[in-house]
Amino acid sequence: MSSKNKGLSKAQEIYLNRSQRARELKAAGKKIIGYPCVYVPLEMLTALDLVPYQTCGDIKEPVTEADRALPHSFCPIMRNCLDCALKGKNDFLDGMITIHSCDPQEKTARVWESYTNYPYFHFIDMPITVRPEALEYFKSQLNDFRKTLEAFTGKKLSADKLEAAIKSHNQQRALVRELYELTKPSPPLISGTEMVQVLKALTSLPVVGGNDLLTETMSEVKNRTAGPEKKSARLLIWSSTLDDTDIMQVFEAKANVVMNESCGGIRAYRSGVKFTADLLEGLADYYLNEITCARTFRQATLGETRKDYARDLQSRFGYLKGIIKEWKINGAIMLLVRYCDPFAFEMPSLKDYFDSLGVPSTYIEYDYTIGALAPLRTRVEAFLETIS
Amino acid sequence: MVVEKKKKTINRLKSMYPLRAKVNETYLKSIEAIQAGKPAVWGMLNFYYGDPILKAMDIEVVYPENYGAIAAATGVAQQYLDRADAEGFPTHLCGYSLTTLGYASRMMKELNGQIPPEAPFGGMPKPLFLMASAAICDARYKWFQALGRYMDVPVWPLEAPIPGIKEFSIEGYYDKMVKLGIKHLRDFVTFVEGMVGKKMDWDRLDKTANLMIEVNRVWHEVNELRKARPCPMHSRDFWSAMPAALFLAGDLEDSLRLYQDMYKEVKDRINSHVGTIPEEKYRLVFAELPPWHSLAFFDKLAERGWNFVIESVGYHPPIPIDLSEVSDPLERITKFSLQFLVGYYEDARKQNVLGGTTAYPYLKYAKEWKCDGALLHPLISCRSASTHLPYVSDMLMEKLKVPSLSIEGDIVDLRLFNPEDALAKAEPFEETMEYYRKMRKQEGFDW
Ligand code: SF4
Ligand code: SF4
Repeated sequence: MSSKNKGLSKAQEIYLNRSQRARELKAAGKKIIGYPCVYVPLEMLTALDLVPYQTCGDIKEPVTEADRALPHSFCPIMRNCLDCALKGKNDFLDGMITIHSCDPQEKTARVWESYTNYPYFHFIDMPITVRPEALEYFKSQLNDFRKTLEAFTGKKLSADKLEAAIKSHNQQRALVRELYELTKPSPPLISGTEMVQVLKALTSLPVVGGNDLLTETMSEVKNRTAGPEKKSARLLIWSSTLDDTDIMQVFEAKANVVMNESCGGIRAYRSGVKFTADLLEGLADYYLNEITCARTFRQATLGETRKDYARDLQSRFGYLKGIIKEWKINGAIMLLVRYCDPFAFEMPSLKDYFDSLGVPSTYIEYDYTIGALAPLRTRVEAFLETIS
Repeated sequence: MVVEKKKKTINRLKSMYPLRAKVNETYLKSIEAIQAGKPAVWGMLNFYYGDPILKAMDIEVVYPENYGAIAAATGVAQQYLDRADAEGFPTHLCGYSLTTLGYASRMMKELNGQIPPEAPFGGMPKPLFLMASAAICDARYKWFQALGRYMDVPVWPLEAPIPGIKEFSIEGYYDKMVKLGIKHLRDFVTFVEGMVGKKMDWDRLDKTANLMIEVNRVWHEVNELRKARPCPMHSRDFWSAMPAALFLAGDLEDSLRLYQDMYKEVKDRINSHVGTIPEEKYRLVFAELPPWHSLAFFDKLAERGWNFVIESVGYHPPIPIDLSEVSDPLERITKFSLQFLVGYYEDARKQNVLGGTTAYPYLKYAKEWKCDGALLHPLISCRSASTHLPYVSDMLMEKLKVPSLSIEGDIVDLRLFNPEDALAKAEPFEETMEYYRKMRKQEGFDW
């Protein structure tokens, strides 16, 4: 990037003009591959010297083109993503990878592929359970993905290269977790809004560039004197995706968002890929098992013939317990994007879980448009009053 | 004074009535059995994966999706919807799921597990377990998972892989899907055995699987006959007759015989040039879930010469495949279920229409059943049956010059579907169909 910026200001610059670096890399001869969802195993792209680029929506962009193919009562994020694609905003992409992480993604994938003309397009199917046969099937999906990538690039995906890529991505995950350590103090050393900028910048950069950005940001944040001010609440936001600063600022106007438990936050970074003899096995396990998105069906014991609600909640939401304690969360917001079924069904149960931990929580819904931010603000303020 | 009974415009198939009666009778018998203490399972429409297994184990299954439709039609759904809302479920969720969640909350929190007295048709008793499905929409497994808030019953979510159309042709792909299915179903059988405390009768499963396949084959052939002009069978007959094949409702041997009778009747009609409506001016395809509560609307359209010759791909049997060489019944069931999902893939890929299980079949229907138009029925609270409709409409026009008319409705808020408004759109749409009929001729299409 031509800019001399570093750390947070570099992240902000990338955030504001996400495609610029990708376009520069493309001009330098790299191939850029889009993906809409954190379930796509980026390690396999990195290993083949492809640059992954997350295709996102733009809350400021009214959806017009996507109306042609998707109804109004449909995940607004996917509608918006597709709309941006159909308007040519990702015209630098050499390919696109979609995945069956939820029904709207699967449906959008068909339309996306049909209405665009990238040289490469691949769809990965994904089972809904974490049963052994499901894992094996998912691994076979990754193997097929490997084959089409090899055919596209004309290169072999060697074990050495894949291992090195896994190491780099694991390093990125570790760095993000380290950065999140900096939201533990009160006030946090880095704001939720800055976090969104940094994490979204990562999804526009090759992994090594992203790791450099994280390292720079870490040292800047640790050494800066003026960080975010202390607000009345330390919030956890649980959502499908929260990757937009306009939305985040609605929460941060009167609270510190110290944990963004969404695909725009820590979700894709909370653990790492294990090194297995067959590397695809470790990747399959990580993506199917470790990413805690509501789309995966989890239960206390696989195939259980008795059900216990408390254990069930623990198996679905247990990962939040440690976060709540360590980050000293005193309020949780379940932010729902309208028409997002996998997350919508969780609302009452997740509320039960937060209640069981004594954490006040509320569920707020919006439709991923700029116009939704004012009512969102009112709801957030009302919640903050109840917990203050 | 002699009151002359007005003859219905749609000439219903005689063979449909005994088939339908069997389905209804089975339903009532199953309710009686459940009331007498036989355990019941709540199931999602699972496109054949799980149903033959439960049938072979002689387990009664109730389908909350269908019960949601009954609750809506009988006017009791609203109180369950309100309850689900009060419990914190977002109101934009699938209306049938909200109905069930509200129902379960009332049954378990207020009535200590007893069936609510207001519940129509005997209600749904507390199940032994829940059989969810990953096919078609996210609601199908998330909804049953959410029921855990009210009932301490286990859930088995049936996996249902869905490949991309191009990806499906990667070598070995199909075999991997089959492998997943067989292993998954084997574990499901073990789970069911544990739940009901008896072993699977594998011979019985073998026979059940064969009958299921044969019933659906004959049912498929019946629908193939509808390509004839004038079309001998209306969508209303299709919807009335489908539960025996789709949900395996009733005794499968009875069903087979009754579908065979239907085949004969439809064939006879073709031989004697009898259509299902008096004058077939327009042939239409209907997508997706019909307005169950307003089916008389189709009689009004029939008076205008609109014949519905094919419909709802999600309810249609798979394109037949020969599975007679497959000895393991679980493999046969898996392959049959997969066929529902991927049966159109090869064709769809050639045509570059990438909704193999959803959008593409409508192109095939329009072309082979020679349709003049499509009536699309998007539903506010069933996204999975609505999502692909704009794409279907776009593809029908782009590839076949077949126009679509979209009329909104809902599965639980029945007021949303307004038959008068819809009928007001019929006349202008007839002009559109006429116009595109000419366009198709000019472009060399043969209808
Ligand atoms: S998980 Fe929800 S927000 Fe994300 S793509 Fe699916 S429906 Fe949309
Ligand atoms: S969303 Fe539609 S298809 Fe899915 S469970 Fe509800 S009614 Fe059935």
